[in-house]
Amino acid sequence: MSSDILLPLSSHTIGPFFPPRFFAKADNDLTRISRDAPPTTQGTRYILVGTVMKEGRVPVPNAILELWQADAGGRFRHPLDPDCEQADPDFLGWGRDWTDLSGRYSFRSVLPGGYRDGTTRRAPHANLTVMGAGLMRPVSTTVYFPDFPAENAKDAVLKMLPDSARSRLVATERPREDGARVFHFDVLLRGSPEDETPFFQD
Amino acid sequence: MTDWQPPNRWPPLPEGVQPAVPIDGYPNTWTFTPASPPYSRPLTRTEATGPLELWRKLPCGDNNLAVLAPGKIALGQFIRISGRILGEDGRPVPGAIVELWQANTAGRYAHSHDDSKAPVDPHFLGHGRVFSDETGGYTFFTIRPGAYPVPVKDTWWRPPHVHFSVVGPSSLSRLVTQMYFPGDPLNDWDRILNSIHNPTARMRLVARQLHPAEVGDAFLAYQFDIVLRGALATPEA
Ligand SMILES: [Fe+3]
Repeated sequence: MSSDILLPLSSHTIGPFFPPRFFAKADNDLTRISRDAPPTTQGTRYILVGTVMKEGRVPVPNAILELWQADAGGRFRHPLDPDCEQADPDFLGWGRDWTDLSGRYSFRSVLPGGYRDGTTRRAPHANLTVMGAGLMRPVSTTVYFPDFPAENAKDAVLKMLPDSARSRLVATERPREDGARVFHFDVLLRGSPEDETPFFQD
Repeated sequence: MTDWQPPNRWPPLPEGVQPAVPIDGYPNTWTFTPASPPYSRPLTRTEATGPLELWRKLPCGDNNLAVLAPGKIALGQFIRISGRILGEDGRPVPGAIVELWQANTAGRYAHSHDDSKAPVDPHFLGHGRVFSDETGGYTFFTIRPGAYPVPVKDTWWRPPHVHFSVVGPSSLSRLVTQMYFPGDPLNDWDRILNSIHNPTARMRLVARQLHPAEVGDAFLAYQFDIVLRGALATPEA
């Protein structure tokens, strides 16, 4: 490894003009590894829906969201995962959506598994990144599921938050739709300390 | 498989490399930017990994924005933008998704939200997507974008710039940024570029012009290398 460490590039806003033609119908469907691939057969299907809002709980249209999560067994198809070889070959773990005029987004995926990382435990979760015209840097948060209160209480990342903020990162369950469980998760980009979505930096 | 393990925390960027927000005169930054500082989190596998075969999901290959077909040629100054996607250690990052979009020569985007009075160019595509090759390299052929005024009360003109979005091998390396052109006087007035207070970091967003002795006379050529944070986690090829 060279001793010359290069400076990473600075972030800028994605602006209001991210090309709509960059989006295709299956981009927000994590169960498909490509646009025409059949969906993976592993795991429990869920749909994640919510609204992105700015200050004053005003919905934000045209925000871009990306979801990244482990497969149903808690594995990533990436060499940094020791169980990489066992990861679901039909699951890429990544999806992108953009909000409609009412600020709404949706993803389709399979419930991620939790995992142990060294001495650290991670509850089932999905990392959600939001980009938008007034955001000079993407913001990143983590979605948890109400099925796993015991795992959530021990999660290494959720534990970084004060007790009062943790529940804001746990999605709420809604009636099933289209053969899938439905979870609801709103993102409030800017608000009071009591209602702003907690964001993370790495 | 690699023996390299990500650290529990990634070193923070030096002061002034990330934009100072909110930005005076850019009203949206005052209503979108979180009011509370972000929480630091330990780096676990979810943050250290990312999609390695994203080209399977996002079709790549459109890298000529200026010539769509014979006779369908964009107006403007032909340019080539090329460079390498690198980790902080200078190692190339192959397989990164590189998305580029920009205004046409008149300063207008091919986007329904752009209500500028500048003309649309039907022969200008305005966006392209490739993935970086084995040496981390990428190339786009396009035209030099025009400047455009920002529709806010205390207006200013955005200098000619090109938007980039890069999805690298880890969540940490996700980058959205903009490239600028050397020597444009509007660069000095741009509220967005100048929100980067570290002068070295700010200059890194300005592309380097290549001499025609190197690249010929078919286009003006610019080099723009993109260094990603967290790409040290890239497995050895
Ligand atoms: Fe722009």
